[in-house]
Amino acid sequence: MSISLRRPTDTTPWRMSRDRFLDSPTIWALLIGAAALFLLLLVGYPIAYNLVMSVQEVTLGNLPSFSRPWVGLENYRQLLADPLFLLVAKNTLIFTIANVAVQFVLGLGLALYFQLSFPASSFLRGLVLVGWMLPPLVIGAVWKWLLGSDSGFVNYALQGLGLISGKIYWLSDPSLSLLAVTIANIWFGAPFNMILLAAGLAGIPADIYEAAALDGAGPVRRFVWITLPLLRPTIYALLSLSTVYTMRAFDLIYTMTHGGPLDSSNIFPVWSYRMSFELFDFGGGAAIATAMFALVLVVALAYVRSVNAERPM
Amino acid sequence: MSGPAPARDAMRRALVPLRPWLLTLGGVAIAAVYLFPVYWMVISSLKANPELFAAVPTLYPHAPTLAAFRWIFERENVGLYLQNSAIISFSVTALTLVLATGAAYALARTRTFWTAAMVVAIMAVQVLPPPLLVTPMFVIFRQIGLVNTQFAVILATTTKVLPFAIIMLRTSFAQIPVELEEAARVDGCPRFIAFFRITLPLARTGYIVVSSLVFLLAYGEFVYPLSLMNRKELQPGPVGLYSFVGADFADWSDALAFATVFVAPVIVLYMFLQRRIVSGLTAGALK
Repeated sequence: MSISLRRPTDTTPWRMSRDRFLDSPTIWALLIGAAALFLLLLVGYPIAYNLVMSVQEVTLGNLPSFSRPWVGLENYRQLLADPLFLLVAKNTLIFTIANVAVQFVLGLGLALYFQLSFPASSFLRGLVLVGWMLPPLVIGAVWKWLLGSDSGFVNYALQGLGLISGKIYWLSDPSLSLLAVTIANIWFGAPFNMILLAAGLAGIPADIYEAAALDGAGPVRRFVWITLPLLRPTIYALLSLSTVYTMRAFDLIYTMTHGGPLDSSNIFPVWSYRMSFELFDFGGGAAIATAMFALVLVVALAYVRSVNAERPM
Repeated sequence: MSGPAPARDAMRRALVPLRPWLLTLGGVAIAAVYLFPVYWMVISSLKANPELFAAVPTLYPHAPTLAAFRWIFERENVGLYLQNSAIISFSVTALTLVLATGAAYALARTRTFWTAAMVVAIMAVQVLPPPLLVTPMFVIFRQIGLVNTQFAVILATTTKVLPFAIIMLRTSFAQIPVELEEAARVDGCPRFIAFFRITLPLARTGYIVVSSLVFLLAYGEFVYPLSLMNRKELQPGPVGLYSFVGADFADWSDALAFATVFVAPVIVLYMFLQRRIVSGLTAGALK
């Protein structure tokens, strides 16, 4: 019995040891280890390094050396004392909430619409997803052109519709620039919301709806009592993911307004970047980044929890 | 809620066969409105200057011209930007797939506390924004003399896409029954070979989706090349495009022509893989 079941390859000792190695737990550790080491060196180390820099005075002069003056929490103190701090905090809050909320509502509307059964529904939904695939710099360029005050299409269309009489200076009016970059970022992010919500919707069994319809529940009641509760894990995951991704709107803001005019569209990631790479105050930039990392990780943990709730590990 | 019930029902019955087509019409309208900015970019790039800045914009170019395209290729060296973009994005994709394959496979086939913890850590890394990571990365790369190399940008960009690739590929591998590999191994095929002969081909769709998304993300990356390199001849498309539109007074016909050229491969790639990307994203984006 045992002879007939023996694998022919087991006859050579070399094969045997190699096979045993490839079957052993070591191989799993090695396979995961390569990627883990890469991320540890290029993400973990920078985060730790960032924390160190945030309590040092880092200038262009001492950048290559490891011995820099320690300043304790001075960088953080300066940030809080900076007159820009409150403005940037306000901008970040408004920008994040507006983006997450509007993108979610638009995304849900689109997902529900394209879930109806009609010819070419998935193709058309795919077309809308194109926006999310485009390089952010291209989106920034296109919206800067659309929102231009002199020959921008948006001003022309609004004037044609009789909604405005004069020109609107979307990008150079400090009271409008944050709105302008928000519009562009909503355009960018709504399809992502749509596709994740569509995935959630597709996961709801159709017979639940049929049963509810037989019981006399109309579309609104079915949405409120079936769709929303069953979609809740997806919604939690999506809201935390899109909160964090809003921090990536850097590219759009940097292209369209550079955070200006007068810092009216400046948000924390932009401020951190400009502090490091324009003012060469790397300690200050690192301090903002550290604070934002803490915030992002809290949201990320909420995201991980909601994903794991959705799919037991 | 308007009109008496029987009349409403009659109207509804009459509309039933038309309903799907009306919905399609609505869907086309939504897609058209949504994609208008892309259309506007392309047709604006085909307009010559007086028409481009006309007080009443033309909805399609009345005198289409490729002058801006000729100019950016002949005078602005756009070809070099595109070449750099190709080098960086292909390298990032290759490096990411090599690193992600092993990790994703191992994470899909083992279930211990440590693999679960790994997945959580990878998900957390996935959301870190490059504008915040770039400050320490710049200082570290500067200390080891990697600043101003495309290698630094490739490494940095890979950190952005690798977690995503691992999570997506893990879902693909998890869907392939382990029994298929075991059957092959009973027939004398070592696990290593079984992986390449059986598992990898079955995960093909996952690989197509992941590699195209990784490529697109790398292709659009802006922060890392902008900050880690300051030599113009090394820069990829996004930094080149920024030099056209970042200034207060952009040369719009050149900028839009560049944007159109730069975005064309993205749209072509997406159109070819649309169905697979959409189904791949809906199957595994969150998990």
